[in-house]
Amino acid sequence: MIEAFQNLFSPPRHMILLVIAAWLGLNLAERRTERYGISKEDINNITFYGLIAFVIGGRISYILQNLSAFTKSPLGIISINPDLFDPFGAIVVMFIVIFAYGQRKQLELWNILDALTLFFAVIAVGLGLSHLAAGTAFGLPTDLPWGIDMWNATRHPTQIYDTLASTLILVLLLRFKPNPRPGVTFLIFSSLTAISQLILQAFQANYSLLFGAFRQEQILAWLALLACFILLEGRLKTVKHKTVSE
Amino acid sequence: MNQTQRIILYILVLIAGASWIVLSSETGETTAVAAAPQAGFPAPDFTLKTAEGETYTLSELKGQAVLVNVWATWCPPCKAEMPAIEKMYNEYKDQGFIVLAVNSTFQDNPLEIAPFIEDYGLTFPILLDETSDISHAYQIRSLPSSYFINRQGMITEVVIGGPMSEALLRTRIEEALK
Repeated sequence: MIEAFQNLFSPPRHMILLVIAAWLGLNLAERRTERYGISKEDINNITFYGLIAFVIGGRISYILQNLSAFTKSPLGIISINPDLFDPFGAIVVMFIVIFAYGQRKQLELWNILDALTLFFAVIAVGLGLSHLAAGTAFGLPTDLPWGIDMWNATRHPTQIYDTLASTLILVLLLRFKPNPRPGVTFLIFSSLTAISQLILQAFQANYSLLFGAFRQEQILAWLALLACFILLEGRLKTVKHKTVSE
Repeated sequence: MNQTQRIILYILVLIAGASWIVLSSETGETTAVAAAPQAGFPAPDFTLKTAEGETYTLSELKGQAVLVNVWATWCPPCKAEMPAIEKMYNEYKDQGFIVLAVNSTFQDNPLEIAPFIEDYGLTFPILLDETSDISHAYQIRSLPSSYFINRQGMITEVVIGGPMSEALLRTRIEEALK
């Protein structure tokens, strides 16, 4: 079954899964956006500009990091190769644009992030499936009965662990009533995601070590969790959201 | 839940997280990594011949950065990226870079290979995969598929599909040459 899935969405078709996730995520986010004081039109605009910023920002960041290559081949700047992309730079530019849009429209950043939480949660599920299709983010070899054959070894199905954890977080977000204080919904989602990454990164085959022993990805997830808890406590003291009708 | 209860919960979760990081830390045991067509793995070895009968074995090219490009004459993106590959080969070959262009001969018309090489003026080795062994070893699902291999024989990057631009080739070749 996994092999059939991988054949159907083998690279570069695995990107389709992210596009489907973005579409579903936007639809879900749109349904709840007015609870956070953000209109449907604004959430659509934020997603639209955010996605454009993500694509352009990822390319610009990649160019800046490989300036000599692009100086010799300037046409590469407008190349259709999706591999000429820096995801970290893309996320930074996307958040800058979302923040700028919010400032311009006098929308609170926390309200925007709350409204986009379901979008991010569905994207996380799509990302897990996309990794499974592409065979990336694979796990350590294991003897466990649920191990999957990948890259000449039986491995932890880390992509399935990730997908299940993200789906569970999405279900929790959908099931429970959103917290009325700005930023709390987003920070709960971020905390749960950090916890899942802290646990699941232990099974990943590709990792970097800090201090010769500890996985950098887990340390980053732990620090992100600490930041989320501090921010969460701060947000819980604030006043409740105003809905669009108010 | 009041503030004190929440803070206790945060501390317990953070302690549990830190304990998990320590428990799952590197033990220092290293195991041999089997070859696989994925970044971070040793490249699966192969021996293939060119149409002229010259033999190339990937493992004998250790010390050089290698681009294994799997292609076919009927594949439009394969055609589109060939001029850029040829240009980069000429630009980087003196630094220890070589291209092994593996034609999927088992799913191609062998009579079209020589005119293709001539039309595009290709000077790097064109190897013939007549038995599909390389396609199986590299788990090829799309054409073209490109594998950048560093001087130690490890795959540094896999690019599925194409055409690859000059800029993409440059960044990946320079990474493999490090």
